[in-house]
Amino acid sequence: MNAGERLTDANFPAHPEKATLEGKNKFLGFWLFLGGETVLFATLFGTYLGLRNMHLDGPSGEELFSLPLVFLATMLLLTSSLTSVYAVLSLKQNKVRSLQGWFIVTLLLGLGFLGLEIYEFIHYVHEGHTFTSSAFGSAFYSLVGFHGAHVLFGTLWITTLLVRNWNRGITLANAPKYYLFALYWHFVDVVWVFIFTVVYLMGKVG
Amino acid sequence: MADHHNTTEPTVHRHEEIQRKLALKEERKHHNVSFVMMILLTIVAFFAIWSDKISDSFAVIFILTLAVVQVFFQLYIWMHLSHKGHDFPIWGMASGVLIAAITVASLMGMIWTS
Repeated sequence: MNAGERLTDANFPAHPEKATLEGKNKFLGFWLFLGGETVLFATLFGTYLGLRNMHLDGPSGEELFSLPLVFLATMLLLTSSLTSVYAVLSLKQNKVRSLQGWFIVTLLLGLGFLGLEIYEFIHYVHEGHTFTSSAFGSAFYSLVGFHGAHVLFGTLWITTLLVRNWNRGITLANAPKYYLFALYWHFVDVVWVFIFTVVYLMGKVG
Repeated sequence: MADHHNTTEPTVHRHEEIQRKLALKEERKHHNVSFVMMILLTIVAFFAIWSDKISDSFAVIFILTLAVVQVFFQLYIWMHLSHKGHDFPIWGMASGVLIAAITVASLMGMIWTS
């Protein structure tokens, strides 16, 4: 059977994302990539934890951070993680329209998160907290900005994936792609859990 | 013979389909429960800092523990690490987490001692 052929309810495999060798390879390779990403973010977290109190004469984290804004951003990202898992459930049931719907909700929530982060960064720059203002500034924008760049990349990824496959249904070729995007999106949320804990909440207690 | 073939096969197929639907229903329930749990963990973590009622040193350990629990929900339920056929992914992530912990500790240590 051709991997690009639209699957029907009759020939739908139990695990369409791992039904081909290519799908299996992508699945394993992506998990190893996520293990590597964990280490990459660890370097940024370690640096931030070492430098977070070195703010020179600029504002400290305790003065800058606004918890209600961070809480709202957290809820947006957490909900988008749930909607992407709903999309994967639709994938397993061969419901392509429902999959597209849930991924669009995921995309919109991701864009909402990005909007909040951009607003937050602009506000900080006005307060005198910039990338070059202190070691705290450099470490903060490297860590939080790198996570934001992951969210931005994710929104571009799902947009192109949806557009390219809009009328193709679910196939053995695109099922692994949808599945891996959902894994990536959950991982971005995992990193955010540590950012709101280590950067924002721990920043408030000094 | 042909008759026999025609009557049994759809029943078997339907039976499998019902089982698969039930499994998916169960999975959806797990996802919803874990979502509610994660929302609660987040609210508790924010409240611990916001309310200013517990000591700072305890609050830090407390919210870090909540973060680890929440990540466990993400990895095992939403990213399906609890499902069959995830042995290699678990090894990949576990080694990543191990190196990550060493990295954080050594970077903090290097900056602290310099």
